[in-house]
Parts: sequence; structure tokens; C-alpha cells
Amino acid sequence: MSNTGNQPLIRMADIHKSYGQVQALVGANFHVNEREIVGLLGDNGAGKSTLIKVLSGAVPLTSGDIFIRGKKVELRNTGDAIANGIETIYQDSALVTQLSIARNLFLGREPLKGPAFLNRMDQDAMNDVARDLLKRVGISKNIPPTTPIGSLSGGERQAVAIARAMHFDSDLIILDEPTNNLGVAETQGVLNFVRGARDSGHSCIFIAHNIHHVFQVVDRIVVMRRGKVVADNIDPKTTTVQAVEGVITGMSEHEAEAAAT
Amino acid sequence: MENRSILQRFIARPEFGPFVLLVLMIVVFQSINPSFLSLQNISNTLAFTVELGLIALAMTLLMTSGEFDLSVGSVFGFSAVLMWTLFNAEVTSLEVAFLAALLVAAFIGFVNGIFVTQLKIPSFLVTLGMLLVVRGTALFITDGFPQRTWNAAGNWLAELLVGDFYIGSFRLYMSLVWFVLAVIVLGYILTQSRIGNWIQASGGNPGAASARGVNVSRVKIGLFMLSSVMAALAGIISSVRTSSANPNSGTGYELEVIAMVVIGGTALMGGRGTIIGTVLGIFILRMMRNGIIMIGVPGLAYNIFIGAIILGMMALHSWLERRHKAGT
Repeated sequence: MSNTGNQPLIRMADIHKSYGQVQALVGANFHVNEREIVGLLGDNGAGKSTLIKVLSGAVPLTSGDIFIRGKKVELRNTGDAIANGIETIYQDSALVTQLSIARNLFLGREPLKGPAFLNRMDQDAMNDVARDLLKRVGISKNIPPTTPIGSLSGGERQAVAIARAMHFDSDLIILDEPTNNLGVAETQGVLNFVRGARDSGHSCIFIAHNIHHVFQVVDRIVVMRRGKVVADNIDPKTTTVQAVEGVITGMSEHEAEAAAT
Repeated sequence: MENRSILQRFIARPEFGPFVLLVLMIVVFQSINPSFLSLQNISNTLAFTVELGLIALAMTLLMTSGEFDLSVGSVFGFSAVLMWTLFNAEVTSLEVAFLAALLVAAFIGFVNGIFVTQLKIPSFLVTLGMLLVVRGTALFITDGFPQRTWNAAGNWLAELLVGDFYIGSFRLYMSLVWFVLAVIVLGYILTQSRIGNWIQASGGNPGAASARGVNVSRVKIGLFMLSSVMAALAGIISSVRTSSANPNSGTGYELEVIAMVVIGGTALMGGRGTIIGTVLGIFILRMMRNGIIMIGVPGLAYNIFIGAIILGMMALHSWLERRHKAGT
């Protein structure tokens, strides 16, 4: 796990994916560097979610290669992706609604206390960490960590899933519409968390319809159109929202400026 | 959420409904027939209760993981028959025969688990098939006749399993000790241990659980084995206590056990389970059986009451669930 110079964390090369007759990805090239937050934009049907599903192991690719730190990997299922340090947070995140927040956070990696044969979960430690994480993702309401996921709002569930990815040090966190259905404070919490993730060495792919949220946090914007990456080095600091919208819809920059005025 | 009073919290618990019902039953039966709560009657009720109870406790964990086992009644009958056949034919000692019966039961559970998790066949079908295979085997090896059990008298293992002892004039069976032990151990596993978290997650959202690295198949196979072994243990205890190992015994127990578990508040489809609820469910069904006879209702009417209790409890649980979800 050495960081070898300019090697990107993730590189996807010439990715094709077809569902029967439908070509969802036609030779997409995409990369994410270490400690980088990439905003992935594109209109509906541009291929963003297919690209993400391939990277998270949810669907197999038709052809193409995926490299992690220069090493070729096969992502046959979501377990493979997680084992390779890729954590995906979907809108309807993979939480067990019957279990409490703390139990979900630590599912599969529960801390133990006491002699090993007793297999006893350290529930106090789990609750403490959960309480702390919930504050950091900006859930301002005082929700006890023993609350079952089933009684949380969609935004709160999202925050729990993000907190989990943060806590377990995934190299790459894919956030698919993480700010959907979130309140203002929760949204700010999530955006702060994403910034904090970069500072602590994670990379993120950030997908959101709200282009303003993307502009607030990302280092680089990648735009997809018709199954391909059409722009992969847009700097949000030197580009306007209108210009990016132009690239997304396929109008030239000149036309986009004209449309904006 | 935090400003809910302790009383409200108590009411929201899944064990609340069965608890109220149990108290109500005791009050009604006692007021009609004052000997209902006599030591003699409690002692008799307890002896049989705990045998079915052992199976219900294991079934609680299995159902929490999203599966159930219809073959427990057959295993209940088969294991006792197997043990006594081995012993009576002087193949081996009682101790070895006992271990052999438990091992065979564990293997039956293992096969159930493999079919359900690897071949992805619903547990209803797998364990229905296993019910017939096991019951058929029990009938075949015995030619349908009960096995002799009386030469077990004084054997230390038989004493350890079902020997009776007195507290004052109150007669108790050793099986009660095993039951209490099982309640503590399985209750601990479900609520305190890491495995318990996996069991609940496997039933609640198997996809999410395996995405987090939980081996859902192994959890379920283990629980199928546990439920078979507990059924075997219960069958053997019962055979020693009643001095008969009948290949037909345990018929219909699977449904009674599942009824005990769901009345107690465990979800049939998994994700939520409660050992305390199951203990309440066990007592509700057994006291109902005992109580309606003691207050003079014909015993044949028993099933009417059981059915009504199941329906009533399910309605209550679903109502509480919806109320809880609504955020009150």
C-alpha cells in the first residue's frame, strides 16, 4: 500500500458496459488521485451511475480494466470492492433497519471486550464512537446511538452510512447523491465531512444533482455524456457553474455563455 | 425520543403484549379455579413446558436470522428413538448413544442449512422435506413401535437430564435448570454478543450484512444445527421423563414452537427477536393448555384459543410496529 509518486489511486481504462442492446458505457476513462475529491457530473442517462456501479462491484463490466494504485483488480462483487478499500454510499444505503445506529456502524467489525470466548460486544465503546460520529456528520438533533435505523429520516440514514465509511478508513468513498433529501444543517455536515475526509487522506467521488454542492467541495470536476467522459479536468475554482452546465448538456462554452445571459 | 417516559418505552417493547396477556390469563384462571397456582400444578406445568421451551429458544435465534425449521418435531421423536435403539441393542453405552443422537441431529441441521443457504431453497420447503425424511426414518427403524426406556433408572446421565429434586414440597425437574441455563446463554448471545448482531443483521437485511463481511450462510447453518440439537435434547429429556421413546412423539410440535416464538414478539421474517418474549410465549401456550382444562373447558377446544391468541397477538404487534414507525 505504498503511495508511488503520481500513480492515481483508481484508474478505469476503456470501460465498456452494455445491457443487452443498450450501451451504457462506451470506452469511459476515469481516474481518481490520492486525497482528491472528484465531482462526477452528467445528465440523466449519461452513464455516471453505471460507472459507479462498475467501480463498486455492483455490476460486472463488459470490457475494460480497473487499476488500484497501478495494480489491476477484479471487482466481481461489492465485497471485493470493500476489500479493496472502495466504499459506496447509495441513496438507499445498505443499513439494517431493525438494528440500532451503533450496531449498524460496527456491523461485521464489532469491538469485543472481555475474554474472547464470551464474544461480548463492547456496546459502550460502540455507542460512544457512534455518538461522536453523528455529531461530526452534523446531525444536530440529539439522537441516541441505540435508536434503530428504521426510525431515522432518509437524510439521517445517509449520514450514518457516511459516518461508517469515514470511521473505517476506506481509501475511496463513493457518495451517490449524498445530499439528496438532506436538511440545510445536515447538508453542511456532509460537505464538511467530505472536506475532512480529504484532509485525513481519503479520496471521494461525489455525485450530486445540485451542482452548487459539487462546486463547494470538489477539487476536480469530471463530466460524462453518452457513456463517455467528455471532460475530466475542470477546476471548480476557475470555472463558472454555467460553463460546466454547458459541458453537461453538450452545448459549446460559447453557446452556454450566450444561454446564460 | 428521549423524553418518552419509562412507561411508554415499556409499552413500545415487543414483550409488552405477551406480558399483559400472561398476567391476564393467570388472573382469570386463578379466579375461576384457585388451585391453578398451586405448587402441584405449577410443578406439573413446568416439567413439560421446558421441553418444548428448549426448542422454542433455539427457534427464536433461527427465526431472527430469517429462517425457520419445521423438522424439529420429527427430530424430537427421532433422536430419542435413535438413542434408545442404540442402547437397547447393546451397541453402545447410554452416554455414547446420547452423544451419537446429538451428533446425528446436528448433521440434520447442517443439511437443512446447506440446502437453504447454498441451494437457495426456502426453509419452508427444505425443512418440510426433512420433517418427512426424519419422521419416516424413526418409524422405519422402530417398525413403528415405542422403544424400551425403563432400564435407564439410576443412570447418572438420565438423572442429570431429568432427575427431580425438591425445594420444600415443590418438585422440580433438572430439565428446568437446563431451560434456565439456555434462556441465559441464548439471551446473552442474541443481545450482547457479536454473533447476535450478525444473527439480527442476517435476518433484517442479508445483503447489507454480507456486504459488511458477515458470513450470512455460516450464521444460518449454525442456527439450523442449534435448533436441531436442541430439539434432540428436548426429545431425549422427554423420553426419559415419560419412560417412552415413541417414533411418533413430537408430531405437530414444530407449529406449536413457532407459535410460541411469534406470540412472544419475534418477527417471522427475521431481523427482530426476543428471548424474553419467547419465554412469555412458551408460558402463555402451556398455561392456556393447562388452564382451560382446569376451568372446565373441554380440552378439545384448546386449538381455538391458541389460534385466537396468535391472531390477536399478530394484530397487536403490527399495530405497535406501525405506531412506532410513525414516530410516536
